[in-house]
Amino acid sequence: AALWLCRARPLLCPGRGVPRPLRGLAAGPEMHFGFQSVTEEERREKIYQVFESVAKKYDVMNNSMTLGIHRVWKDILVHKMNPSPGTLLLDVAGGTGDIAFRFINYVRSVRERQLQRKLKHHQDLSWQEIFENYQEDKSNSLGDSQVVVCDINREMLKVGKQKAQHLGYSEGLSWVLGNAEELPFDDDKFDVYTIAFGIRNVTRIDLALQEAYRVLKPGGRFLCLEFSHVSNPLLSRLYDLYSFQVIPVLGEVIAGDWKSYQYLVESIRQFPPQEELKAMIEDAGFFKVDYENLNFGIVAIHSGFKL
Amino acid sequence: PSHSYTGQGGQESEDYESEEQLQRRILTAALEFVPEHGWTAEAIAEGAKTLGLSVAAAGMFHSDGSELILHFVSECNAKLSELLEKEQKLVQLGEAEKKPTDEFLRDAVEARLRMLIPYIEKWPQALSVLLLPRNIPSSLSLLTSMIDDIWHYAGDQSTDFNWYTRRAVLTSIYNTAELVMLQDSSPGFEDTWRFLENRVADAMNMSHTASQVQSTGEAVVQGLMGAAVTVSSAETSRALR
Repeated sequence: AALWLCRARPLLCPGRGVPRPLRGLAAGPEMHFGFQSVTEEERREKIYQVFESVAKKYDVMNNSMTLGIHRVWKDILVHKMNPSPGTLLLDVAGGTGDIAFRFINYVRSVRERQLQRKLKHHQDLSWQEIFENYQEDKSNSLGDSQVVVCDINREMLKVGKQKAQHLGYSEGLSWVLGNAEELPFDDDKFDVYTIAFGIRNVTRIDLALQEAYRVLKPGGRFLCLEFSHVSNPLLSRLYDLYSFQVIPVLGEVIAGDWKSYQYLVESIRQFPPQEELKAMIEDAGFFKVDYENLNFGIVAIHSGFKL
Repeated sequence: PSHSYTGQGGQESEDYESEEQLQRRILTAALEFVPEHGWTAEAIAEGAKTLGLSVAAAGMFHSDGSELILHFVSECNAKLSELLEKEQKLVQLGEAEKKPTDEFLRDAVEARLRMLIPYIEKWPQALSVLLLPRNIPSSLSLLTSMIDDIWHYAGDQSTDFNWYTRRAVLTSIYNTAELVMLQDSSPGFEDTWRFLENRVADAMNMSHTASQVQSTGEAVVQGLMGAAVTVSSAETSRALR
């Protein structure tokens, strides 16, 4: 298979002249890995290696690259989800658990408010009944909500589990090794499916979307948080400058890994823009598909429902 | 776009349903949970659950419950129209007496307000949401079309300024009665119905008073004219003597 390195990219015009594969499908055996052209298998392997090497420094790099803003993006995603207690969440490519932990916090606080309201209503409870209510609380602080974190990369899952232990998250959380293109779950299982900064690394996006549709319950929601395209020309230039000049350097300095972060920045440019991704999601069978731009399109949240 | 709702076994069900229809079904199902959860996404989530859908379906709607409330108001208005239509048919068939206007208005407004009773505790919350700038166009249009409906069935055929006066008057009667009802703790809301009766009576009197004032005005003017003529002729006759 042809493998041409395009290292000498002119800094001001990245992304031009590289063949873009058909919507979600491999155009022949050629696929993109950043600005390189590779086969499907090579792509999967290369991406696995990227995340294997960045796993330990993943969170640190996220914070420095996005100046901490990635936390806000993830908060907005969970807020938009507005999960009620009893929700079953599948977080795909959830690696280090950022979305999962936020989900647990959110559901816990909603549950607390619910219980407070319930207690307020029942004004004349006996001490016995109040005691029993508090007992129930202890064992049900999440209201039966659960999150399954699924990732293809063992290293990322390892880091995630360690983080969970460190931060004290135990109940309602499970970790599963799996491929977004072929999920190890039954049909119609989950209420919400999220994939945050992961779908860009999936080799066959259409398959991942079909799998998402399959494992969601009727009425279930698909949410995707991903880097997207900035249409504002001035901002776009600044963003490109920052991406190609600053980020790989940070990668080298902080994580000792220039290549992985070069891949990261290139893969963002290769990813379909908002409208195209919306069309792909609709192709998979979702309804009421919509997207919300964050920070002028640097990041976008796509949402769809299985109806 | 209409599509078929695919069941668990992958077989298509007979009825084709659009997105809007499904959304309306969810909202109708959610109404049952409003007394407990208020006009919130939680109520919508519970409603979705009863239809066999995931609770995440509530994400299709605004978290402040706007769509749920607007749906409820529009359903109530539809029910009222149906009721008035039926009554009109009975009158046309000669099976019922045509009510005098004040009684008709009173009964129509009472029937409409009674629909709020199961949700009365959470209704103040709903009113505040209806007043959000985002919702005002819809809530206002629902209100005006309801009032218009009532006057239509009351037999209003005015084409002059009265058309506006009548609607403005009835709107204010409805709104004030609604507010009174929110604070009414009397058995069976009898305070509200009495308030309503008085307001409708006032409105009727006002129109009589208006015409009375007009005829009184004319009388006064004529009197003044006559006095002026008498005075001037008295002056003239004295001057001539």
